[in-house]
Amino acid sequence: MAGELNAAAVRPASLVGGARRNATAWLLLAPACLALVLLFVVPIGYVLLLSVTDPRLSLAHYERIFTVPVYTRVMVNTFVTSLIVTALCLVIGYPVAYVMARRAGWVSTLLLTIVAMSFWTGFLVRTYAWLVILGSKGPVAGAYGALGLGKAPQLLFSTFGSTLGMTHILLPYMILALYAAMRKIDANHLKAAASLGARPAAAFRDVFLPLSLPGVVNGSLLVFVTCLGFFVTPVLLGTPRDMMISQLINQQIEELLAFGFASAVAVVLLIATCAVVAIYNHYAGLDRLWG
Amino acid sequence: MRRRAFLKGFAAIATAAAAGPLIVTDRTIAQTRTIFVNTWGGSWTAAEEAAFFKPFTEATGIRVRTVAPVSYAKLKAQVQSGSYEWDVTAITQADLLRADREGLVEPVDWTVVKKDKLFPNAVYANGLAYCALGTNLAYRKDKFPQGGPKSWADFWDVKKFPGSRSMLNNAVRTVQFALVADGVPVDKVFPLDVDRAFRKLDQIKPHIKVWWTQGNQSQQLLRDGEVDLIVMWNARASELQQQGLPVELVWHGATITTTMWGVAKGAPNRKPAWEFLQFAVQPKPQADFANKLYYGPTNPDAFKHISPEVSRQLPTYPENVKVAIKPDTVAEADQTAKIQERFTQWLAS
Repeated sequence: MAGELNAAAVRPASLVGGARRNATAWLLLAPACLALVLLFVVPIGYVLLLSVTDPRLSLAHYERIFTVPVYTRVMVNTFVTSLIVTALCLVIGYPVAYVMARRAGWVSTLLLTIVAMSFWTGFLVRTYAWLVILGSKGPVAGAYGALGLGKAPQLLFSTFGSTLGMTHILLPYMILALYAAMRKIDANHLKAAASLGARPAAAFRDVFLPLSLPGVVNGSLLVFVTCLGFFVTPVLLGTPRDMMISQLINQQIEELLAFGFASAVAVVLLIATCAVVAIYNHYAGLDRLWG
Repeated sequence: MRRRAFLKGFAAIATAAAAGPLIVTDRTIAQTRTIFVNTWGGSWTAAEEAAFFKPFTEATGIRVRTVAPVSYAKLKAQVQSGSYEWDVTAITQADLLRADREGLVEPVDWTVVKKDKLFPNAVYANGLAYCALGTNLAYRKDKFPQGGPKSWADFWDVKKFPGSRSMLNNAVRTVQFALVADGVPVDKVFPLDVDRAFRKLDQIKPHIKVWWTQGNQSQQLLRDGEVDLIVMWNARASELQQQGLPVELVWHGATITTTMWGVAKGAPNRKPAWEFLQFAVQPKPQADFANKLYYGPTNPDAFKHISPEVSRQLPTYPENVKVAIKPDTVAEADQTAKIQERFTQWLAS
């Protein structure tokens, strides 16, 4: 007892404090870690296990995914769609975020309010709104009729409708990510560029754009990964041709009770997503994404 | 005035407080026996509450608690782990068959269930038949003033019956409709000639505007006039009729699927559970349920308690059964996965 006390007294004060601080840190982290393990690691481990054991121990499900053409097609379609949606979000979102970040006062507030309201409106509600807007009795079809252009093309239940809906739903994520990065850019950098003779276009290209890249990377990753798991919107607005992985998983579980095969599809989706994140990490660095 | 209202309210609270202890003792007696039922929730469970659970509790003192939604995965998990969340489950016929094959449901307890209280074909895969659901051709009457389609052959006839069409994104149902459209008699659909069905489906595919997956989606499509002809669940179409929409249902070539009650293997309250199952398939509760949701009673005697107007709209009404597809649930269950894979591929190409 006395020996222990002595040992503590002999140890440098900073080291004792460090150890205690470490213990406190772990204690504070414990609930989050426990929740992650119980609610995330364990279920994913179970899905992984199911994919090779249900109904019997084999890799047959994985073989089926990569040999039956329709499943490969769904995988490819999911990634291509996600890429398109991400690109659209970036192209539409960048100017909006730019104006929000660079303009002070009511313009910025108004835009932010609109984006936030869209963000907070349930995605099911927004999907149903497109059903009305693009429907055969909706305003788009009405405008066609009023302008004498004849019958409107079928916008609903098409690849166009599904891509539009997903872009609309994910756009706020992109804008808010870009906005967060752009707000951090010191306006003096641009002034400095101007004072050194850069025209506005050059200042934007050489100063603002590179500085906003973390936002671009962050927003793109967020949109892309969320889009990979999209379910309701393509079901309601798209065609069976545009089937995404989540629809396939849902169909296998709900209609066919094929838990093993559904798990294998989920594992492939997970691995693919992790690969995307890993590539981002390699070139951009995950830690940079958060600020 | 306000004061009087306040006094009234106060009196009500006082009465409730005085009656309170009595209610509690009443409950504690009933709580000695409770069964837990897995079911679909929402309006479905509200109808069950009125038709099955409340009268059962009144008759036996056994309380019923519900858990939603129906989950095959949970049924399997609780039998494997031995910790039970419910005793009874509502389950589709195909899933019950699979559950029975996997040993997840109890065999019928004939010490509780009395054979003379059941009707023919009440028992299937160790469960009791609960209600029946039709999957029909439905259309907007206002779009066809000269008379609408009467069969799947008419649905396929896009010249005689022009209009936008929608079908249910479900392989085994769709394949059966295609066979009937191609001229197969409704009692000869099984065994399924899958190749023939897909050849027929190729003809209609370009004319299907949307393949729906969710029940309320099908209602929205027909309600908004987005489509004129559609494959629809009978009760969903009846609901639209009740809302005043000009919707007509065709019974020729419809499929009729049965929903079952099953008892989870090893469930702690299996004796009262079988008592409940026997109660729930009796004519009166069956009729009450059908009157609320327009799913067909499985007990033929239930029609004695249902008006002729409602009866005609139910899947198990004898005239409707006669023209519907004669099912072979075992053959269907065995082929579902294979047909679905081909169908998914066909839809995506």
